[in-house]
Amino acid sequence: MFTVSEAAKNKILALLEAQGKKGSALRVAITGRGPGGFQYDLRFVEGGEKGPEDVVEDGGGFQVIIDSASASNLNGATLDFVEGIHQSGFSVDNPNSIWTEPKAKAIQEVIDTQINPGVASHGGFVTLLDVKEDTAYIALGGGCQGCGMANVTLKQGIEVLIKQAVPEITQVVDTTDHAGGTNPYYQPSKGGQSPLA
Amino acid sequence: MDRLLLLMTTATYRASAFLEAARRLEVPVVVGTDERQVLSAANPGGNLTLDFLNPERATRAIVEFAAQYPIRAVVAADDDGVILSAMASQALGLSSNSVDAARAARNKARMREVLAEAGLPSPPVHRFSLEEVPEDAARRVPYPCVLKPLFLAGSRGVIRADDPAQFVVAFDRIAAILRRPDVAAQGGPLAQQILVEGFIPGVEVALEGLLVDGRLKLLAIFDKPDPLDGPFFEESIYVTPSRLPAATQERIAACTHEAVKAVSLHEGPVHAELRLNEQGPWIVEIAPRSIGGLCSRTLRFGEGISLEELILRHALGRGVESFEREKQAAGVMMIPIPRAGILREVQGKEQAEKVPGIEEVRLTIPPGRELIPLPEGTRYLGFIFARGGAPEHVETSLREAHRLLTFIITPPEEIWTEGSRVAEVERHASPAGRARARHSVGARTT
Repeated sequence: MFTVSEAAKNKILALLEAQGKKGSALRVAITGRGPGGFQYDLRFVEGGEKGPEDVVEDGGGFQVIIDSASASNLNGATLDFVEGIHQSGFSVDNPNSIWTEPKAKAIQEVIDTQINPGVASHGGFVTLLDVKEDTAYIALGGGCQGCGMANVTLKQGIEVLIKQAVPEITQVVDTTDHAGGTNPYYQPSKGGQSPLA
Repeated sequence: MDRLLLLMTTATYRASAFLEAARRLEVPVVVGTDERQVLSAANPGGNLTLDFLNPERATRAIVEFAAQYPIRAVVAADDDGVILSAMASQALGLSSNSVDAARAARNKARMREVLAEAGLPSPPVHRFSLEEVPEDAARRVPYPCVLKPLFLAGSRGVIRADDPAQFVVAFDRIAAILRRPDVAAQGGPLAQQILVEGFIPGVEVALEGLLVDGRLKLLAIFDKPDPLDGPFFEESIYVTPSRLPAATQERIAACTHEAVKAVSLHEGPVHAELRLNEQGPWIVEIAPRSIGGLCSRTLRFGEGISLEELILRHALGRGVESFEREKQAAGVMMIPIPRAGILREVQGKEQAEKVPGIEEVRLTIPPGRELIPLPEGTRYLGFIFARGGAPEHVETSLREAHRLLTFIITPPEEIWTEGSRVAEVERHASPAGRARARHSVGARTT
């Protein structure tokens, strides 16, 4: 069961009206996992754009199409709309754990309680992307992305902590595109010597 | 198992390569660096914060650390750690270069004295205090000459002067670099002086080697096909194997070996820069470290072993004699910084990577960051890597890939808008880049 709060329902109906899309459905899907939990995709689609396994629920004046791959992780979740001075927008209150597989849950716990509080001091964060057999796939974001010492943080910190907590994991793979980072690439955070040839 | 201590500052390009090499060798690593690592508390045996500007204090910290976590070898990734590596190795009773040799190699004036005393070809040399009146100093040097700081790397602060007027301008410009608080702290007393050498004409090459018990194992000689005649000395293309005649290459290796002996270097990596002219090879500089930046990626040994792995194997006492560089040619272009400003965008990377022979185009300054060219700058815009075939093919691939790149750079004070983006693309792109820019930018601009 996926619930749409009264505030969210009113906002969606207003958007459908404003965009001339009355009769369209709201499609909800989980697109990934981030430091704050699941990441969601919300979009208006025509009623016919429904996959054979997708779940359809009544949003109260519009249909809600729930992506089949996301359905189990959206069961019991509530879509809300908040409007405030500091923040406005849709939010999803989801009681489901972002990982169900025990190894992934244990790694996420380490990331949430030990790794991210540490790297946050440098403006960074670590996201667990996947766990396959003995390998954990992660991405570094914020200040970690593009940092010349990111690999030291990975090998001498993140990997050590994950392996300690989950001994079945033998390698941690960083999938980050460090060339696309906003942190000064290969730049010391204070005065340093030329790293040139 | 005893640990390997890797010394690297946060400015290094080499962290990934050395850590990967250690992983392949299955040796535990402690990273000694100049800033506390964010997760160091979770792995106290794997991280060590050291004061690179005070190697005596840092050595004491290493000895104290080693009492709890025994250290088997100490390796400096870059110039910054060379003296500390020698001091720490000596304190721990490990095989290494002597501290005096490391100090001589880190002081370009001392190195010149040592090479001249050993009878190696040497240009006339003068040393001036920053307090010297440059106009007076300008009257006492030969022309053309090259002014340089005693300790900076990567051609930073190296300027050619052809007459007294150019000398004065160069002197003041280098003095301004040396008076920067971070540079002054890094150089200590060496930051108080400027070295002036007679300009050595000729083509330039680089030699990469490994010292094993005082013997030089030649790893590679790189040709530098772009002339380096000043006024600044920005490195660009390196290609190996060298296309110079075998006899010339032997003379390069022999000259380097003589220089190594003169400086009393004994163990570990050696990177030498030489010039060749009708009088033979001349040492420009020699350093007890491996090639800088990301350039080591051009080198592969045996079954795909990296230069870093070779260095670590040697430091750990494992054999390296049987490893030879692969047969195919390889090269790198250190992408020159076209001009000062803010890097807004780099176009054409995808096309450049499709050029036959190109392995990768790696940009190391992200959009939005300031570009500072030499002689003040410290960072490359990026690196282009090529491999395969003959050296001339590698060089051609590197030049073609670079030609396909367009760097959009604006003055630091300019506010960046879509309109200015179009103007910048039109103004600075190469002809190929202009065509792409008109296509890609114009479509998105009204």
